[in-house]
Amino acid sequence: MTSDRNARLFVLLGVGALWAGALFGVVGSWQHVVPGIFDAVPFVKARPLHVSLVVAWIFMVAVGGVYHYLPQLVGAPLHAPRLLRLHLWLWVATGLAILGSYGMGRFGGREYWEFPPWLGVMVGGSWLLLVYNFFRTVFKLKGPWPVYLWMWATGIAFFLFTFLEAYTWLWQRPDDNVVRDMTVQWKAYGALTGSWNMLVYGTSMVVMERISGDRTVARSNTAFLLYALGFTNLLFGWAHHVYPVPSAPWLRLLAYGISMTEWIILARIIRQWRRTMQDAIGQRDHVVHRFLYASELWVFLNLGLALLISIPAINLFTHGTHITVAHAMGSTIGINSMILFASVFHLAHGAGKEPLPNSTSLRWGFRLFNGGLMLFWLSLIVAGMVKGWYTVMTDMPFQQVMERVVPFLAAFAVWGLVLFAGITVLAWQAVRALWWKAFWERGRHSSVPVTSLSPTNLP
Amino acid sequence: MERVGAGEKMGGGLRSVHRRLIFFVLVALFTVQTGLTWTSSTQVVSGHGTLDAAAYRGRQLYQEFNCTACHQFYGLGGYMGPDLTNVTRAKGKGVAFAKGIILHGTQRMPAMGLTSKQADDLIAYLDAWAASGTYPVRAVNLTPWGTYREMHTNNDQ
Repeated sequence: MTSDRNARLFVLLGVGALWAGALFGVVGSWQHVVPGIFDAVPFVKARPLHVSLVVAWIFMVAVGGVYHYLPQLVGAPLHAPRLLRLHLWLWVATGLAILGSYGMGRFGGREYWEFPPWLGVMVGGSWLLLVYNFFRTVFKLKGPWPVYLWMWATGIAFFLFTFLEAYTWLWQRPDDNVVRDMTVQWKAYGALTGSWNMLVYGTSMVVMERISGDRTVARSNTAFLLYALGFTNLLFGWAHHVYPVPSAPWLRLLAYGISMTEWIILARIIRQWRRTMQDAIGQRDHVVHRFLYASELWVFLNLGLALLISIPAINLFTHGTHITVAHAMGSTIGINSMILFASVFHLAHGAGKEPLPNSTSLRWGFRLFNGGLMLFWLSLIVAGMVKGWYTVMTDMPFQQVMERVVPFLAAFAVWGLVLFAGITVLAWQAVRALWWKAFWERGRHSSVPVTSLSPTNLP
Repeated sequence: MERVGAGEKMGGGLRSVHRRLIFFVLVALFTVQTGLTWTSSTQVVSGHGTLDAAAYRGRQLYQEFNCTACHQFYGLGGYMGPDLTNVTRAKGKGVAFAKGIILHGTQRMPAMGLTSKQADDLIAYLDAWAASGTYPVRAVNLTPWGTYREMHTNNDQ
């Protein structure tokens, strides 16, 4: 089970990245309100540190989950466990190099990948190891794939494509212009978030299947069609990020049309709401269920917000404001992190076979996390509404607009502290459990065959 | 040993081959869209917003100093500082204004220690953005379809 230990290490380090990323998020949020605060880490460093660490949390926990669950789902060991170890340590070394470059103020890349471009070779190279290992393992499975395998395969393959596309700016063309440059950049970023969403939602379906024991959902036509709808949005919906950019109109109008298909998903959530709530109340004492049901609430809220701001007439007022930040935070924290915490606690506690420690702390962590996030999210939305209104409807200079926005950013910074407290409690509980599994129990289960952990053997 | 796919039957209607077909059709359409995006995704008037050697150097400086952490073009970037799309051509601002801020900083933005030559390169990059269009769109001209008219054409025209 060495490969499983390395998979758990991915998850453990991912939890650490979340905590550190949230800490830099607190620093950055207060720098909006109190100029000059935390001068040792100026905003130009705090922002990429925050973003990169939180992105690392998403990828490391999702990828660790893939490495952990995949052999059990396929019923065969991972194709190349040594490559998993190499992936882990290459990823860690690259991550430390990236953090070091930010710490020293050495940039050179673009938004979200601000590190010097040569480090991108290491990120892409380590991802290739996952591509190889995943596809060599998953093709051992005969017969149709459940939808989560489609999701993982899509997320893994498209991340590599989108990552390469995000670096096409290195290729200078004689007819280059800034609009095409930005359009291609945001095409890559739109698909990038779609890629990690595929990894995270796939993980969510695996966890749900394992705790419910219901194997039909992930194999149903409905599940596949919803996946196809999500995939279509990943491929063609990205241009809603660039409505105001003078790119080709067909791109923007296509993205508008594609984005509106997500009303189908929202309608489906509303239709199933009553049943979801009944299930949630029935399972409220189970920590993994709580995270999964909370993620459904956040899907509903964020999808509603995303649909509204994808309507160009509304986007005109929300683009370039903190409403976009609210959407990003709601998605990465509200949806992705809820699902990933569900996976972390499911994985850390022997797939539900072992009791959860210190559940009072977990309950408080959960409440602080969700309550803090809700108020944090609402503060950003109000801040964005104020900024959008004054920016579009008046000629007011930027500084004067921001004077009106700052009180809401102060609320956002305060609620960010509550959110950080929740993350700290949950991360501590997760690390304790994962540390125990990754190191303390090392070797104890070395003789447990892969097949004994297959979903059919779960209680 | 029971594996997830082995022996499973799909629900009626969509067989495995249909699922693969849907997937590959979507990927094929995406490939076409990618080609078009890379080659003809802009309707900016020819010669406007193009990057010459100075603008390329300016772009490199913009990235090396991580200006995007605080600033935006067309509303995309960090929100600590103002949007820079039209800073070199906007009323009350302009090249001298932008160069002064780049070289000397402001109360909230530190001076980055750039030379005058580097500041000129950065200005060339900013000016390429200014030539490409206008942001924000203030003349709101809505359509019944939830769009605005500027979105249907190049807003530089």
